[in-house]
Amino acid sequence: MPHDQQIREQAVAWAVRTGDPEFADWEGFTCWLEEDPAHAAAYDRVSLAVAEAAEMPPLPVGANDEDAVPPRVTRRWLGGAIAASLAALMALGVWQMSDERYTVETAPGELRTVALAGGGQIELAGGTRLLLEEDDPRFARLEQGQALFTIRHDQTDPFRLEVGEDTLVDAGTVFDVRRTASAMTVAVSEGAVIFNPSAQNVRLEPGDMLTSAAGSPDYSLRKFAPAQMGEWRQGRVTFENASLAEIASELSRATGIAYRADPGTAAQAVSGSILVGPLREDPRALGPLLGVTVRQADDAWMIAAP
Amino acid sequence: MPETSSHVGLEAVFLANRERLLRFLAARGAGDAAEDLLQELWLRIAASRPGPVASPLSYLFRAADMLMIDRYRAETQTRKRERAWTEAAGGAQPGVSDTPSVERHIIGRENARLVAEAIDALGPRPAAVFRRHRVDGIPQRQVAEEIGVSLSTVESDLRRAYRALADLKERLDEG
Repeated sequence: MPHDQQIREQAVAWAVRTGDPEFADWEGFTCWLEEDPAHAAAYDRVSLAVAEAAEMPPLPVGANDEDAVPPRVTRRWLGGAIAASLAALMALGVWQMSDERYTVETAPGELRTVALAGGGQIELAGGTRLLLEEDDPRFARLEQGQALFTIRHDQTDPFRLEVGEDTLVDAGTVFDVRRTASAMTVAVSEGAVIFNPSAQNVRLEPGDMLTSAAGSPDYSLRKFAPAQMGEWRQGRVTFENASLAEIASELSRATGIAYRADPGTAAQAVSGSILVGPLREDPRALGPLLGVTVRQADDAWMIAAP
Repeated sequence: MPETSSHVGLEAVFLANRERLLRFLAARGAGDAAEDLLQELWLRIAASRPGPVASPLSYLFRAADMLMIDRYRAETQTRKRERAWTEAAGGAQPGVSDTPSVERHIIGRENARLVAEAIDALGPRPAAVFRRHRVDGIPQRQVAEEIGVSLSTVESDLRRAYRALADLKERLDEG
């Protein structure tokens, strides 16, 4: 086989391998590229030919015999993400909704601090969306995720936070609020917070933690260790009797790594306290920490009870 | 509104593997521009704000690979335009195609037909494997399960398809 032909064959083989989402041997690929600059050039030619072919618009029906082709689904595992045209706008994490309301958003694994006009700040955990009002710095709405509020108290103009159908009103305060699909939890470390002043009207003091299920007036109260307050800012997450499904979604939010609970044991509850840093190096490190098994599936790490 | 932000997920992996990514980009054809391209890569990733990813390091390498393919694509298009410009000296504005859009549309459709023919000529299974993996974006292992063949058969079908498409592109670019 002529030399060029041989390089092209190798380039074809590498392009097939790197094209799969499960490909991981980037070290080996780098070594092959370093052997000869002609390798990268051949790989470029093959990759572009294939990319262009895959992007061709489908032919009109009847133009070709396509019986052997299964129905198309539009599922891209990466492509669009990098090219997203809204990317530049979203990079700011701030969407202008109308003249007055705007949202501040964090990506999974991202932390962000927003300073409030007139003093105080809100620290957002990963995967969080918060709605703020330009004209009213004493109002916020937590749409999803978790945030730590440090609010300057003003008796004549209390800070109001909406979480789903619930309202929290501060009475001089540092408090942490988390909203998941199923519940809202608020923990107070300084000052006090009133939960739904016009309904249940519960006053929370430092060390109090209140959990209220979504769509229900019921709530439960318990004490928490103040040291746990806002611990997510230092990269720690604590679970107490949390289902594997909840743990998977919380960890995805905190790390930006895709975790999913195995459907068979998703409802099983475990407890534990985890530093998320090491998980970014090795998502499997979660296993021994929580006594669960972690295996790689196509697009996520599956967590299951043993 | 003053705010500070820090990506703690992908960015930590990015920073920890900077040297490896740099080496990859240099070998991948970036040469001396590797440092600049690494910077551009991070800006693109940060701007796209990806959701949770299963393997952050693989994600970064793949994004770097795609960046280089994009650059190669842009270069070949510039070269084609320049060649067309030289050939049709005086005909058109540089950087503006003077081919009427109807004609370009027909060429586009003709190419799509040639590509479909080249893929179908491989036989029904390799053609289905290629479309399932590259057009629908299904991982190779899953394609193998769906069609009921081994992973190495899927890989060999894909190699045949890639070869055929690279040949076709060479012919079209020369023509």
